[in-house]
Amino acid sequence: MRLFNRLRFRTKINIGLTLIVGFTSLIIALFVIRMASDALIEQSRKRGQVLAGNLALRAEDPLLSVDLLRLESMVNELKKADDEIVYAFIMDDKLRVIANTFGEGFPVNLKYVNSDNGTAINEVTVDTGKERIFDFAAPIFISDKRLGTVRVGLSRVGIQSIVSNLIYAICALTGAVLLLAVVASTHFARSMTIQLGALQKHAEDIVATYLGPGLTKDEKPKSCADRFIGFLRQTKRGDEVQELTETFDAMAMSLECHIEDLQITEMDLTRQKELLKTIINVSPDFVSLLGPQLTYLAVNQPLYNYLGSTEEKIIGKTDKEFFPPEIAKVRMDEARQVLETGRTINKEHRDDYDKDSPARWFHTIRVPVYAESKKIIGVLSTARDITELKSYQAQLIQSQKMESVGKLAGGVAHEINTPLGIILGYAQLLQDDFDADDQVAKDLAIIEKQARVCRKIVADLLGFSRQTESEKMPMCFNNSILEVVQLVSHTLKLEHVDISTELDDRFPIIHGAPEKLKQVWLNLLSNAMEAIEGKGGIHITTKLDTYSMTITAVFADTGHGIEPKNINTIFDPFYSTKPVGKGTGLGLSVSFGIIKDHGGSIEALSPLPKCMLREYGLPENSGPGTMFKVVLPLDEISDEEDSSPYSI
Amino acid sequence: MLRLKYTLPVALLLVGVAVFFFGGTHDEKIVRVDMSVQEELIVPEPEPALTYAYLPQYSHKVSYLRHSRLIDYLAKETGLRIRQVFPDTFEEHRNMVDRGEIDISFSNPMTYIRIANSGAKAFARIIEPSGSPTFRGQIITRKDNRSIRNLKDCIGKSWIAVDPLSAGGYLYPLGLFYENGITTSDFREISFAPGPGGKQEKAVLAVYAGKYDIASIREGTLEIVKDKININKIRIIAETKPYPGWVYAARKGLDPEVIQKISNAMFKMSMDDPKQARILSQAGMRGIIPARDNDYDSVRELSKELGLSTLYNKQGGTE
Repeated sequence: MRLFNRLRFRTKINIGLTLIVGFTSLIIALFVIRMASDALIEQSRKRGQVLAGNLALRAEDPLLSVDLLRLESMVNELKKADDEIVYAFIMDDKLRVIANTFGEGFPVNLKYVNSDNGTAINEVTVDTGKERIFDFAAPIFISDKRLGTVRVGLSRVGIQSIVSNLIYAICALTGAVLLLAVVASTHFARSMTIQLGALQKHAEDIVATYLGPGLTKDEKPKSCADRFIGFLRQTKRGDEVQELTETFDAMAMSLECHIEDLQITEMDLTRQKELLKTIINVSPDFVSLLGPQLTYLAVNQPLYNYLGSTEEKIIGKTDKEFFPPEIAKVRMDEARQVLETGRTINKEHRDDYDKDSPARWFHTIRVPVYAESKKIIGVLSTARDITELKSYQAQLIQSQKMESVGKLAGGVAHEINTPLGIILGYAQLLQDDFDADDQVAKDLAIIEKQARVCRKIVADLLGFSRQTESEKMPMCFNNSILEVVQLVSHTLKLEHVDISTELDDRFPIIHGAPEKLKQVWLNLLSNAMEAIEGKGGIHITTKLDTYSMTITAVFADTGHGIEPKNINTIFDPFYSTKPVGKGTGLGLSVSFGIIKDHGGSIEALSPLPKCMLREYGLPENSGPGTMFKVVLPLDEISDEEDSSPYSI
Repeated sequence: MLRLKYTLPVALLLVGVAVFFFGGTHDEKIVRVDMSVQEELIVPEPEPALTYAYLPQYSHKVSYLRHSRLIDYLAKETGLRIRQVFPDTFEEHRNMVDRGEIDISFSNPMTYIRIANSGAKAFARIIEPSGSPTFRGQIITRKDNRSIRNLKDCIGKSWIAVDPLSAGGYLYPLGLFYENGITTSDFREISFAPGPGGKQEKAVLAVYAGKYDIASIREGTLEIVKDKININKIRIIAETKPYPGWVYAARKGLDPEVIQKISNAMFKMSMDDPKQARILSQAGMRGIIPARDNDYDSVRELSKELGLSTLYNKQGGTE
């Protein structure tokens, strides 16, 4: 059966028609041959009976007259007259053969094989071994007296020969009909297969996305509507296959039109999808859609970047795949809660997902997504990074706190300043009472000196507390640095830190708040000193750039440097690498604010380039070091005019 | 797999073919014969018996049919073995009597007077179906032949007779013509019925078919052919005077005792006996009566008138 299925359609038709014609011919031939042979045999039998009967009639007179010669000639004439007559003989009433065609040797047994005593002509088939013979025995009766019997043998060879010829003729005819049928069927099948081939070609064109008929690959495609109109004008009348082909073509063209519509719609949809995706992806917020099974149905680019994966890898998975178990549990519980209750979750939380990165704050909103059946089918989550906002919040709080502390310190310093002045005054007065070489005078000088130090500290405190009140004025940039260096030099020595300066000797004058700037320098030096654990050096360089009208101060140290991951966060408020109680983390943040207030910029570089170590004469075997570069404009630039972004 | 809707018709077709070929086979009796076993045939000799011959005025079959029962009767009555023989012609009959091959001859008077010359002797004669011991010849024509009304009209016409030696079928009518002054030369044509037997019938049929104008036949022939033709279309023009009927003659030298036995058996037959009546009817007679040779002198006279002695001598070559 598989073999038959694999055959060509044309071959199948040929085989089918051949079988039908062959089978029909065979049946007809069998029946015709049988009927014809029966009829022939019957005819032959009747002929034999007639011959025998005639001979019997004709033999009556010679038999009566015992005219053996006539009888002999009658049987011989009969035999000569017909080739099919094998023998003929006449017997008298005593079964004595009185005339025969055998010549002298008469077959003895033949006499008795057909000896019916009835009045009718009896018939048997004699099988001689070589052939079969119809033997007819016609009694010669006159009145009721039997005179004898006429026996005639009719060969069946002739009949068989006629039957054989008939079989040959029928076979030849069948063959001819079969041949004609095959030729006709081949022609028919060919016309069919040509149409089917056209149908197949059109189908192949459809597969090759050439829809519709009559469009070769070289032809310039027309619009679908034009081709459809052209096709309808070209429709031909034909048989069912032709109609099928045309219906197929019409279907293909209709399909093409639909596909064109679909393509246009798809393009629209794709554009809209791209637009939507772009909108979602360009949103800085983390947007995601969770399904009922808490699997991700959609994520936007910021989120999958944050998770360090791709959209394809995230879709279909849950939070368990991307978050530590406890975080994942929290997130999934929240999502489940939204799914079950339909209540929106709106919260701020700190995310410690990436331990290597600074902690980030997020404002997360989870809202249920409803289907048309009012059933919750998902959870839309948006998480906005509010780390900066939180930092400003903290900075604001700290500022408020510092302001309070400043006011308190200012009040305390003001109160301490008076007793210190009195202590200083009395110490100076007492020195006058003693000789300069006197030990008392020396002690008093120490008291005076330390009292001055205290007053200086108090003055600084007062200056810090009055920072909001400080006003910008023309000031010497180098002097402000030198004052601070001088202030901290003693402390630096105690910490075995060498400090060197290389200040621009053109003494650039800037418009600034000296106290605030000194606070910046103090912060930078303080940080540098703390970074140098053990022996190290600090080098301060100032350089005037008349071209850009800026003054640059570079603070380079040989301290432990700043981790690369922290380099961008050191200016954040409250960021500190110091242990708890050792620092507030406000120093660089405040410094940044002051420099920005002066229209300048401050940036950090760590580790310190080796060339700079050599250039500044710093010990090369020390830590990686840090360099802070502060650039300030020479002329005052108002805050309104300063719209350039800070560069960190 | 083939389904029932395909297999069923095919199976039925095959069954039909099988029934056609094997169920309807003609009953044929086949006998094996070894043709090589042969024998040489010897022409069977007839068993010795008293031979009885009927002058072949009809076919052998008719002759046989008419006389077979009578012969059976005679054989049974006399205890003799009697066999009917069938000469093909009158002449042959006469010759066979002459040669002694026919012991008992049943012939017409004309033949009798001829065989009487060679020693045959009449011993019985029949009573015609009409009841008369004599019979006549008849001259017939087609009823629609309006040109022939009487004997004179026969002049110049074509005439078919039974046989030159036929009494009722030729010689008696010829005598009648002679009496009326008409000789054989007055006819356009005189033909005789062909063939060895059945001559009476052939003569009637020839006229009936229109081949000849007139035919001469023995009285009673029309009765015989009435089944073959419509005898209403036949008209009898004239009949001859009656002559003694057919005669039984014994060949020369036949044992008188045998003749006596047969004569007794013949004379004993009567139409009163249904069985014998059937035999007599089949033989075309009502009875058999004794006869003497001089009963046929009238015939001899006719023969003389017609000058048949010469003819007989010419044909028979004995006189």
